[in-house]
Amino acid sequence: MNERNGEHFRGWEYLLFATAAVLTLLLSVCVGSVQIPFATTVSVIWNGIWGLPQPAGTAPAILLTSRLPRVLAVMLTGASLSLCGGAMQGLLKNPLADGSTLGVSSGASLGAVVAIAFGITIPNILFAGTVVMAMVFAFCSLLIILGLAYRLDFSLSTNTIILIGVIFSMFASSVMSILIAFSGEKLRSITFWTMGSLQGTSYTNVLVLLIALVLFGGVICLHARELNAFAVGEEKARHVGVNVRRVKLVILIAVSGLIGVCVSIGGTIGFVGLVTPHMVRLLVGPNHKRLLPASLFGGSIFLMLSDLIARTLLNPLELPIGVVTSIIGAIAFVYIYGSARKGR
Amino acid sequence: MKLKKSLAILIAALMLLPFAAFSAAEDTSFTVTDMTGREITFEKPVEKAVALTASDCEIIFALGAEEVLVGRGEYCDYPPEVTDIPSVQSGYDTNIEQIIALEPEVLFMATMAQTQEQVEQLEKAGIKVVVSDAQDIAGTYTAIAMIGQILGKDEEAEQIIDSMKNAFEEIAENKLDGEKTIYFEVSPLQWGLYTAGTGTFMNEVAEMMGLKNCFADVTGWAPISEEQVLERNPDYILTITMYFGEGPTPEEEITARPGWENVTAVKNGDILNLVNNELSRPAPRLVEGAQMLYDFVVESLAAQELAPAA
Amino acid sequence: MLKVENLSVSYGELTILQGVSFDLQPGEWLMIVGPNGAGKSTLINAITGGVPARGRVIFEGKDARTMKAHELARGIGVLAQSHYVGYSFSVEEVVRLGRYAYAPTIFSRHGGEEQAVHAALEQTGLYELRHQNVLTLSGGELQRTFLAQTFAQDPKLLLLDEPTNHLDLVYQKQVFELIQNWLKQEGRAVISVVHDLSLARVYGTRALLLDRGKVVADGTMEQVFSDEILDRVYRMDVRAWMNRMLAQWKEA
Repeated sequence: MNERNGEHFRGWEYLLFATAAVLTLLLSVCVGSVQIPFATTVSVIWNGIWGLPQPAGTAPAILLTSRLPRVLAVMLTGASLSLCGGAMQGLLKNPLADGSTLGVSSGASLGAVVAIAFGITIPNILFAGTVVMAMVFAFCSLLIILGLAYRLDFSLSTNTIILIGVIFSMFASSVMSILIAFSGEKLRSITFWTMGSLQGTSYTNVLVLLIALVLFGGVICLHARELNAFAVGEEKARHVGVNVRRVKLVILIAVSGLIGVCVSIGGTIGFVGLVTPHMVRLLVGPNHKRLLPASLFGGSIFLMLSDLIARTLLNPLELPIGVVTSIIGAIAFVYIYGSARKGR
Repeated sequence: MKLKKSLAILIAALMLLPFAAFSAAEDTSFTVTDMTGREITFEKPVEKAVALTASDCEIIFALGAEEVLVGRGEYCDYPPEVTDIPSVQSGYDTNIEQIIALEPEVLFMATMAQTQEQVEQLEKAGIKVVVSDAQDIAGTYTAIAMIGQILGKDEEAEQIIDSMKNAFEEIAENKLDGEKTIYFEVSPLQWGLYTAGTGTFMNEVAEMMGLKNCFADVTGWAPISEEQVLERNPDYILTITMYFGEGPTPEEEITARPGWENVTAVKNGDILNLVNNELSRPAPRLVEGAQMLYDFVVESLAAQELAPAA
Repeated sequence: MLKVENLSVSYGELTILQGVSFDLQPGEWLMIVGPNGAGKSTLINAITGGVPARGRVIFEGKDARTMKAHELARGIGVLAQSHYVGYSFSVEEVVRLGRYAYAPTIFSRHGGEEQAVHAALEQTGLYELRHQNVLTLSGGELQRTFLAQTFAQDPKLLLLDEPTNHLDLVYQKQVFELIQNWLKQEGRAVISVVHDLSLARVYGTRALLLDRGKVVADGTMEQVFSDEILDRVYRMDVRAWMNRMLAQWKEA
């Protein structure tokens, strides 16, 4: 009994988006700061997959240990961040909600910095301390931000949310500055990282991102109908029978978990979660059953392209990826904010 | 005609008068041109100074004039005794009030920290501002000479400059063949790679000793892509990452990076870690840094010559 | 079918609702009336659990507080007075949300979902508009969309909070007649907050008059709308006012 009600992402749409994402992935793997002939790229990756001996030269190292894991991490981060953005925009019924505008990302990076500054580690698991601290801080930040927002303005209007997000981000970054000032040289290099960098990501990082995306992203995607109800209104969601408190808590945990993992691996990459759900919404509409899967693909495409620009624009120099997304995102943000206000 | 001529002489005499009177009375006065070309006149050697940059502090200590330092920039860290001196905010956050409160006669600062208003404010408060902003080794000599003159340590300055010149000349005379490449790592992979390109002391020192900086096409300290490092395959790696006694050392961390195992420097274990900013500041210790790098490269070359036989 | 016992709501010192009790039978349309600030909307919210309240709400023999959200939604539907939809959902998508309570997890089957949605769309005359963006609807169309949503929800009890407050006469009549039709089916009941006393009198079968958080009168329309009670609560001659307004129409 499978009713076709046109709400779901159709097969051909999946195929279209997935093809676009795969093409972007191929483009990102083939193009980089070092030019490697297409044929070499294909044979290196083919040999890499089947464990065959590699040709001599730097191509295998560049492709398999530097470019490929990075591009994969970028793809998963983009998908995760924009899924989170889409979920929060629905949950809070606010088109400007996102990890970076709400200050959750800042909270998460504060957690990561705290973990590094105080040497918080979990024995035997590399970088788990940073990941867990980032997740915990992301969740606490969300609770603080929403708690404050509800207290000040129960309707959670756009302006309140943005204001509190900005204040919280500033607060988090000043705490970070204090930490950096006190711990001296050890943390100074982190200032580069807070701009967002996926350089040097390993396959372990990719695996962690993938697990987080499957786990938390899966939870988010399973709540598409509840998010639809929230997007129409939280009261309405309660009236049609959504367990508002439980669903909200679950989504918030999943979102902060996912943002925490992304931030601890790639730093704060702003605007991805804000901009892509909007662009995607223009294509597939606001229904989360379509919006969420489309955001996954859209986010990965957006971030892979941003990363491609970051890697190649000023070759051999490399821009922090966060700079590229922020420039594109800031312009889109102004446009969205303008049209959102016009719409009222 | 005659009237005109005598008038001209009179005017000329009047113009010269103050100078004549001045130089006659103040024997110890001298004028210094700082590194932005401003002329600053001192009546006598300075006894109380604040230095904002780490390099100027190092120069003052090297001159043996540390007792004149009543304040220092917050990032000054060498020699260790410098931290006993009261610190003031520097760089973008330069705090004029803190500096005025220390009542120095002169403030040494770099161009980055200098804005017109700050200088005006300080000079109104009776503090002379001297900009020391060396961009290369020659500039470092100028800075040392200038600071030496201001603090009345001309001889010491000359000695330091001479010994630096001698050491650098010795290295330059025995320079390498210019074939070997080096990669300077300023920030590690974890935080995004940064290297030192053209216009940095590291680059100048490398050129002097006949090493090729493989990122000579980059200017200043700049973020670069990992792929480019692998592609350019340096023979030596110099990292200035600090080590805090926990986890892998910077050399170990570089060696452990996946995909780097085929980089010549990693294969041969030719990674040097300079932890005390020897090669990043225009100060007398540039010589130490250059010497350490030179010795490291020479030793490794000697080892490699022995290796094939074994 | 609904039993409200001693319901009280207060925010700190401020008491909004004090000891409200009533009993509702199937087939009834209960009009909650009273001056502004009487606690009418709060009473609706307290019944659905939207505000923390003391006292008991018993729906079909079960304590509403202990019922699961989707169980309660299958029994009670709510229509608010105005809606702001943040995103450009289609009419059909909004109506379909009404079916959530029948498949609260993705593992549950959507039995008859499409039929219920279509029926609700047709019942409210929205079938032609079903693909339209809700942001482009008129106020009346939007209210009908949400009414269709509550119809699709297929509850036994409908709670309406000033459902036609912002609507002009045509839509007012339309919405009230739709609800009246809906009520005809056996086992259903409606509670609505209405401040327009004439409207309440035309459609209601029973009235509950609130004043400053307390029940002043509960009974048939005739019992509650007595001159003595209304004049006391509204502090004016209500009948004289109504007659004066009506007179304008008679003369024309």
